[in-house]
Amino acid sequence: MPTDLFGFLSRRRFLRLGLAGLGVVLLGGTSGLLLLRGKAPHVEGLRVLDDHEYRTLCSLAAVLLPQGPVFPQGALELDLPRAFDRFLAEEPDYLRQDLRQALVLVELGPVLFDRRAVTFSRLPPDERLAHFQAWSESETLLRRQVALAFRKFMCLVFYDQPTVWPHIGYPGPSFARLSR
Amino acid sequence: MSRLGAIVDLSKEPLAGPLSVEYCVIGSGPAGATAARALGRAGKEVLVLEEGADRVGPALTQRDGEMYDQLYMDRGGRSTADLSIAVLSGRVLGGGSVINASDVVPIHPSVLDVWQRRFGLADYTVQALAEDEAAALADLSASRPDDSLLNRNNTLLRDGCHKLGWRGEVMLHNRVGCAGLGTCLLGCPLSAKRNARIVPIPQAIEGGVRFLTRARALRIEQLGADRKRITVRSLDERGYHEQHHLTIEAKRVIIAAGAIASAQLLRRSGLGNQHVGRGFLLQPQLPIAASFAEPVRCFEGIPQTYAVTQFEELQHPVHGFWGFRIEAIGGTPGIVATMLPAIGAAGQRLMQRYPHIAGALLLHPDAPRDDSILSIERNGRLQIHYQLDAEQVTRFRQSVEAAVRVYLAAGAEEVLVPQTPPLSFRSLGDLPKLAGLTLRPASVPLISAHQMGTVKMGASPATAACSPDGELYGAPGVFVLDSSLFPSSPSSHIMTPILTLAHHLSRRLLSR
Repeated sequence: MPTDLFGFLSRRRFLRLGLAGLGVVLLGGTSGLLLLRGKAPHVEGLRVLDDHEYRTLCSLAAVLLPQGPVFPQGALELDLPRAFDRFLAEEPDYLRQDLRQALVLVELGPVLFDRRAVTFSRLPPDERLAHFQAWSESETLLRRQVALAFRKFMCLVFYDQPTVWPHIGYPGPSFARLSR
Repeated sequence: MSRLGAIVDLSKEPLAGPLSVEYCVIGSGPAGATAARALGRAGKEVLVLEEGADRVGPALTQRDGEMYDQLYMDRGGRSTADLSIAVLSGRVLGGGSVINASDVVPIHPSVLDVWQRRFGLADYTVQALAEDEAAALADLSASRPDDSLLNRNNTLLRDGCHKLGWRGEVMLHNRVGCAGLGTCLLGCPLSAKRNARIVPIPQAIEGGVRFLTRARALRIEQLGADRKRITVRSLDERGYHEQHHLTIEAKRVIIAAGAIASAQLLRRSGLGNQHVGRGFLLQPQLPIAASFAEPVRCFEGIPQTYAVTQFEELQHPVHGFWGFRIEAIGGTPGIVATMLPAIGAAGQRLMQRYPHIAGALLLHPDAPRDDSILSIERNGRLQIHYQLDAEQVTRFRQSVEAAVRVYLAAGAEEVLVPQTPPLSFRSLGDLPKLAGLTLRPASVPLISAHQMGTVKMGASPATAACSPDGELYGAPGVFVLDSSLFPSSPSSHIMTPILTLAHHLSRRLLSR
């Protein structure tokens, strides 16, 4: 889906974020951050994302569109993170780079914005939702942009899945039904 | 080059260049297709370049993911630089007319008065354009849908409008044989839309015009008054990556790639004056959702037929056309979900109400603004800089209030402005909440389906990028022919104004 959606992550903004990150690193040390982030499980067959970025995306997908009593399959069960990785593979380099950096930012969100010694993927699930909700409603434009971009992609692809349609009362494409 | 009309898919049949033609038209939407047909019928040798593919019939699958990916620029993800406004435009043979809502609204006469008075377009009179507008309406088979074609989403808006005693109308449309499939914004598999792919393109092919699909025009070089070189790259089947190189030489070039892509091409080519890509209009639209106890099923039937026109000003002293209108709109689940503000289980609960949700768009005419600028970064990334001003926010407060009133009058249980966090209205007593409508960037799903004014026409290069003939100032033989030329909003919907202009400027071009 998106292309210019991530054009907002300009070099200048990333420099600012980089400085914020640098402050964190100076306070906690690179090894401290790596320790906080922990080791992500290895995933075979990814085209763009690394294991850490993929783990962040999976955590985000589960927050945005969770599995539950009404939706027996959430974004994670429908393999949307891998769809996102495939989408990225066909996008220009600058966009791929922006999105990967955005995932790093999300992962470090609790450290950078809540001053907590825990990264996004290691938050308990209910706290992840509250934390990401704060991104959507943030006074900081960049956080709202990141939240909007991931939400748009995940929602568009999730509700386009035939297995989801019975749960929202959508009968599916009308042309195929008429043709039958 | 031969004058045998055809559609050639460059992803499958790479052409060996260089090619040489009289006219190269860049863009196959309503403007490009109409101009190509006129030139072809006049015996000219014409080649049309289109970045998108040719998709008709069952290839239009009605699925959000695939169709936004394949029919829209930037795979449906284009937006302004700060993510405030999703910028939707077509990338398919037939252009935006394949994926629009099929509303037919001609240029308002008062707008032509403004164009004459403010922009020096002295010969753009109602009389001078009458023949062209008639030809546009004939191309579109314009008619007013009868009541049986109005779905519940549209009749609810009409019910509310009638209860309030407001002015409203069923809009003209360009469908013939519509079966109410409900996915006009993803193309019509039944070909019921009389769009550029169905009307002028086949006629242009009969006139000997060749259409190259999956052909991206990278730049235009001015080699002389009667000689231009166009550098083209073919794209792969899905349109993701550039493949082969092709050079075309043409005596004249007509750029009709849509307001954003036309200006982008000119900026990339270093052609045109300082007005190219500046002061453009996006005519932003705000979606509104209303929840009803009864099923609405906005995904069935024609998505957009009824408009509340009570607040449109058709004799505005400065702009000619101003105010706002409210139009019903339906959508497939993916796109509707992207516009709802909640996440997690709360968002899923909202989507469970999908068959009960009515949708409308608040359409605002726009004015040229100094701070809207298109730029291209060194890595090739297009940046569309455009921000709402205070007047627009005030006008949106008025249009949201009107939408709340009309939906509550129609019996809505709740009217939702999809801002994050959302604004919910269950009674008129909630109207003071409107003060919380900020429209700050990336917190509300504004969309632009009507971009224009990126390469404005006007009487002088001091104030405009193109002459009243559509010829680019400083680049003889390079013409622009699409909504890029509009100096202000001509109408709430731009397909008919684009077609009118295309007929008009094609006539002027052929009479030179």
